[in-house]
Amino acid sequence: MTEFEPKIVAFVCNWCTYAGADLTGTSRIKYAQNVKIIRFPCTGRIDFMLLLKAFGEGADGIIVSGCHPNDCHYTSGNFHARRRWIMFRGLLDLLGIDVRRIQYSWVSAAEGAKWADVVNTTVTAIRELGPYTDYAKVANYLEKEANV
Amino acid sequence: MNELIQKAKSLLESNTVQVVIGYGKGSADKTRAIFLTKPEDCDQLLFDSRCVQNLAVYLTKHEIKHLGKPAIVAPIPVLRSILQLAAENQLKESDLVVLGVSPESKLIEFESFGAIEVFLETHKIEIDEKYKATIDKIKAMPVSERFAFWMEELEPCFKCYACRAACPLCYCPKCTVENNQPQWIPAASHLLGNLEWHVMRAMHLAGRCTDCEACYTACPMGIPIHLLTKSMLQDVEEHFGPYGPSVGKQNTLSSFNPDDKESFIR
Amino acid sequence: MSKIGVFICHCGENISATVDCGKVAEVAGKLEGVAYSTDYKYMCSDPGQTIIKQMIKEKGLDGVVVAACSPRMHEPTFRKACSEAGLNPYLCEMANLREHCSWVHDKSDATTQKAIDIVRTLVEKVKHNKPLSTIKVPVTKTALVIGGGIAGIQASLDIANAGHQVVLVEKEPSIGGHMSQLSETFPTLDCSQCILTPRMVEVAQHPNITLMTYAELEKLDGFIGNFKATIRKKAKSLDEKLCTGCGLCTTKCPTKKIPSEFNEGLGYRTAIYVPFPQAVPNKPVIDKANCSYYQKGKCKVCEKVCPTGAIRFDQEDELVELEVGAVVVATGFNVMTTSEFSEYGYGKYPDVITGLQFERLASASGPTLGEIRRPSDGKIPEKIVFIACAGSRDPAKGKPYCSKICCMYTAKHAMLYQHKVHHGESYVFYMDIRAAGKNYDEFTRRAIVEDKVNYLRGRVSKVYEENGKLIVKGVDTLLNAKPVEIEADMVVLASAGVANPGSEELAQKMHISYDAYNFFSEAHPKLKPVETNTAGIYLAGACQAPKDIPETVSQASGAAAKVAILFSQNELSREPVVAVVNRSAPPLYSTCVGCFMCATACPYNAIGEEEIKDRKGNVIKKVAKVNPGLCQGCGTCVAFCRSKSIDLDGYTNEQMYSEVMALLNE
Repeated sequence: MTEFEPKIVAFVCNWCTYAGADLTGTSRIKYAQNVKIIRFPCTGRIDFMLLLKAFGEGADGIIVSGCHPNDCHYTSGNFHARRRWIMFRGLLDLLGIDVRRIQYSWVSAAEGAKWADVVNTTVTAIRELGPYTDYAKVANYLEKEANV
Repeated sequence: MNELIQKAKSLLESNTVQVVIGYGKGSADKTRAIFLTKPEDCDQLLFDSRCVQNLAVYLTKHEIKHLGKPAIVAPIPVLRSILQLAAENQLKESDLVVLGVSPESKLIEFESFGAIEVFLETHKIEIDEKYKATIDKIKAMPVSERFAFWMEELEPCFKCYACRAACPLCYCPKCTVENNQPQWIPAASHLLGNLEWHVMRAMHLAGRCTDCEACYTACPMGIPIHLLTKSMLQDVEEHFGPYGPSVGKQNTLSSFNPDDKESFIR
Repeated sequence: MSKIGVFICHCGENISATVDCGKVAEVAGKLEGVAYSTDYKYMCSDPGQTIIKQMIKEKGLDGVVVAACSPRMHEPTFRKACSEAGLNPYLCEMANLREHCSWVHDKSDATTQKAIDIVRTLVEKVKHNKPLSTIKVPVTKTALVIGGGIAGIQASLDIANAGHQVVLVEKEPSIGGHMSQLSETFPTLDCSQCILTPRMVEVAQHPNITLMTYAELEKLDGFIGNFKATIRKKAKSLDEKLCTGCGLCTTKCPTKKIPSEFNEGLGYRTAIYVPFPQAVPNKPVIDKANCSYYQKGKCKVCEKVCPTGAIRFDQEDELVELEVGAVVVATGFNVMTTSEFSEYGYGKYPDVITGLQFERLASASGPTLGEIRRPSDGKIPEKIVFIACAGSRDPAKGKPYCSKICCMYTAKHAMLYQHKVHHGESYVFYMDIRAAGKNYDEFTRRAIVEDKVNYLRGRVSKVYEENGKLIVKGVDTLLNAKPVEIEADMVVLASAGVANPGSEELAQKMHISYDAYNFFSEAHPKLKPVETNTAGIYLAGACQAPKDIPETVSQASGAAAKVAILFSQNELSREPVVAVVNRSAPPLYSTCVGCFMCATACPYNAIGEEEIKDRKGNVIKKVAKVNPGLCQGCGTCVAFCRSKSIDLDGYTNEQMYSEVMALLNE
């Protein structure tokens, strides 16, 4: 029985976390394979619907990461993102969507080691939570319909 | 009530307004929105506890705007919506005449939005204890159970979008759901699409909803979607401070405080 | 159907060691919409780029994905190549297979699969890319230099001599910085003031330089080529046009016992003061916090004696707005104080001093007129102990880094002491001797061999006072860790170089990055040492990291060259990654509802109103409009728009949606 390998999508900002992840690579720090990165100019650009879509397409976990407060390349994008995430997380929590599967973080361009740590801890946590079957059942509704 | 009718008549007679939006007799002992263009029709106006529709929704519809400048019968939920619409640049003071109706059914004439705001200071939005208790009960369930609860609640939704049609703050001529490049919300009424629609609706109302419950009243399946918006309202108050529509105030989500606190970002 | 070309790079072995590039190219070639797929050893090389250009022309490609290193590395390279082949550069994207995949995972099937997933994601994105053209903005050819030490002075002179206007802002009453406090400089033992003051005067007299002293940066808005800076000129209480610099006021001021900052607290100054005799401008300022008039309403002696009536007690701070095209940050550094060393007395022993304080003792214009004397009793010390690495290279003190200049200046201090006190004994406790510059090792050798400075390799665990002497307990590790105890008359700590207080706030004001020690971050540690991540803002000197004078001057000239490059163009081409509000046919005109939530969120005030009018001129609706010259492309507005009426070119909703879909669906 193969061990469950979670699928995790990371939504990151170009100036801090993407650069931080680059530094992780330059420093040759190894980390878990399960995370794939999508690059945004700023965390402010991240539409909350994309997170839901990711779950709907089979992601077991999500990482959203950007610049530390006060350090946003565009001044305030991450402040807006932070407010949005506070509201979004509250809503998801009420609806019973497992917010433990979404890891938010601030990783700067100098924090190569932190990125590796965020990835590894998230992968371990999701592996323990298991595949997101609750959501998958709802998302695969379409397939059921098609088969009828 | 008489006062209201007389005022409405005089506004139409003097052509200060061309249409009066108010409540009138509906079918099966319910009330409905009525649009009066002739002074003598104003006798149809009524106001009682059955009047739960939010008339402000008509202020942004082009069919009504086409009729000319409106006067609108505005109990407190409608007043709040008017103020919020003004805060979002959808209404100017000169666009309408507000015929406020106090909780004691007395007519209040407001000359400005500022006056409405002052009045609403003493009628702040307050979520009823019974809703708070329901929300707490749901939040106390374990995650899987919570999800199952909502999936059961959302199952009957068939995407009629009555909630959208009834909400005064849903005034976008082309809604997100009408985009298909990309298709954010699938049109079919399956659970995933229903969930995505209601999440999006609640998020788009975050910081704006004035708790009029028009969405719940309109829903033909009786889905408690107002619990989502009420919970968001609570969250805004908890995290970002006192809540309430105000013309000068910046939208909660499009503003920020460098010291916003959260416990989940590492 | 799209015709996308996929080019997988081996990057030598960097990618191919853990990723099966051939397999990735094979799978990519079978993706829908991919017209050509190949792999090659060095895609960024000339032959590599030629392959791309050839295939664009041969296959009529309408999109390119180069799967190689990070786009932060080579996106401009490949976009330029596409442009040369006639393909709009914004139809080219890079898939990061190196930093995000091959370098961080071991060789396995899963790693190759991840590479395939990454490539697939970018292919789907490119299918939705639109051709974009660069935006042109004008460049204001004035530079703002913040900091008037040797770095700021050098940068200002270079930029001014290149023919451009410079505004030099310094927060102290005089320019000169720490270099003006030094007595002699290594490795030549040049008199510091003698080489510095001609430059200071040149700055003051240069027609292209506007000097603002006793001033600080209040606010910085805008972007490269188009900054708006607000400078607060603190009230000097002086009409500078009337003041002749005669100095009479400073001799008559009754408040004489204020510890002098210039003398590092070892001497005193008056409330109305000129920091040092060679100050530029040589005009006094009133220290309001210590002036009897400002604090108690009494005195005004300076006003009475001033022959030209230049004193102005009612003067207020002035806020000046400047339009500049580039900013050079040269705010310098500071040193740890003795009070931060619990093991060396917590600052309570007056004869335990820092290297900078020693400079003031050695300096002819210092509190002891160049004689090395103990601050406690004024006697000449017979034995001095110098402790190198005081605070530096010490994680326990929060400073694991090396402060670079201390080995050299400690040798210099010991030499100066020996020159001045021939019979004196000096000891240096060191860990290593870092003398890596030109003539540096010969200098330290000279201290040991010619001037007979005693170098002991070991650390000092404690310094305490006993009978008027300072007992220094150290160890000599070259003699098998023999404990050494010295009864010294004076102890000099080569304390760590640290960032100036207020550096963090300044960095945040300018939106530049800074590290954990509050030193400002360069854009790339190897290849971009004078630029920051914020376009148009450059770094010079020790504010970036501790460094000596030759390096500071080099970096300052480097920053000046970058500014000159920027100013050599009349127009700047800006990346066309900007937001656009949609427009459509009447009667809708735009799906925008005019709520302007986007405008409130925009950090650059780039979103304004547009009135849509009918043929009679009546306003139908007001919608949002983005100014492409101001928009920086963050996309915050896009995530807010409820009606999805605004989109970000380069990261459109379609593109991001298709990336998510592609990533999770094979």
